[in-house]
Amino acid sequence: PEAPAQPKEEEAPMHQFIRKILHEDLQKTNEEKILRLMRKLNWEDTEVSTVAILHLAGGWRVRASARRALARLTAELSAWQEVVAPAVVDTIMEEIRLTLEDPHPRYNQRRIATVRYLGELYNYKLLDSRDVFTVLYSFITFGVSNDHSNVSALDPPENVFRIRLVCALLETCGAYFNSGSSKKRLDYFLVFFQNYYWFKYSDPYWTEENKFPIYVKYIYQECLSTLRPKLTLFESWQQGKDAIEELRQTLYPELGEEDYENEEQGEDSMVD
Amino acid sequence: VNKNKDKKAKPQRPLTKIILRRLPATMTEEAFLEQVSPIPEHDYFYFAKPDTSLGNNIYSRAYINFVNVDDIYLFRDKFDGYVFLDEKGLEYVGIVEYAPFQRIPKKKKKKDPK
Repeated sequence: PEAPAQPKEEEAPMHQFIRKILHEDLQKTNEEKILRLMRKLNWEDTEVSTVAILHLAGGWRVRASARRALARLTAELSAWQEVVAPAVVDTIMEEIRLTLEDPHPRYNQRRIATVRYLGELYNYKLLDSRDVFTVLYSFITFGVSNDHSNVSALDPPENVFRIRLVCALLETCGAYFNSGSSKKRLDYFLVFFQNYYWFKYSDPYWTEENKFPIYVKYIYQECLSTLRPKLTLFESWQQGKDAIEELRQTLYPELGEEDYENEEQGEDSMVD
Repeated sequence: VNKNKDKKAKPQRPLTKIILRRLPATMTEEAFLEQVSPIPEHDYFYFAKPDTSLGNNIYSRAYINFVNVDDIYLFRDKFDGYVFLDEKGLEYVGIVEYAPFQRIPKKKKKKDPK
């Protein structure tokens, strides 16, 4: 049960205004007008710019139909206020990181929306494919034990939500990973993602009586077959492990064990 | 062996932007700067207040883009694990990491005619 609501402080009128135009009023049809209003804010005022950035990063707060408009508006506004783009992406990256540190399902709806919004921001070039893959790899590696006997609190067996997060992001922007280095990146990622899927799917937590959620299986299969219709999917965890070993042989012949680990994790953390 | 066949592949630039996470929610930018000053030579600094809709996970954080890579290590040694206090005396252990997103605002600033 939720704790009783704290009495909220009255929100400053300017904050209410920003919230209203971005999260209630914004639609495809009035984007120009709202962009003009946003440009007129006093961006020199740190308090105003802080609130504006927080709300521009709040892709989960808007209706799904307005999500793309908010992403486009953020991109257009960034041409005038250059601090906006990095601060918005940083805010979303941090929210995703918190998601991984605290996998409680309470925010799942929001998490999916946030990840889709990040994908839209990629579509408007606020981040590179490299950044998208940093996020994708974090979903399948952060706190992941890759060992059923070693249960991770960050990625417990019963929690299969990370598979849905990967699919949500790929559904939003994966279609653009179709040529050059981003195509290659996606091809490699799909090997690791399939391996992760099978790691989760084959966990002894799932039994005949307590089956792996079928809808997650469908979302996963649908996602991969849409992105790569000709891809033959792995049928076991062992196949995933073999494929990674093969990649390791062909892709990183000159790398030692340690470098390979870093590459696989795609994690920039200096604290580990 | 297949080396740099992909012409688009650029040499990896060193990571220069760091994030200092898990700062007290109520911390102000001024208070933060007071505690960590002087920050070595940098060309970007952004102090982010927490998103209060995130339940238990409410922290401030700061981003810094360093000019000299070596300064990052010195900064990390000093502030990774550093205990920050909020005004009630609660302890917050800061974490220094590379920012997952390395982009910073471009230098040239055009004035918005609005």
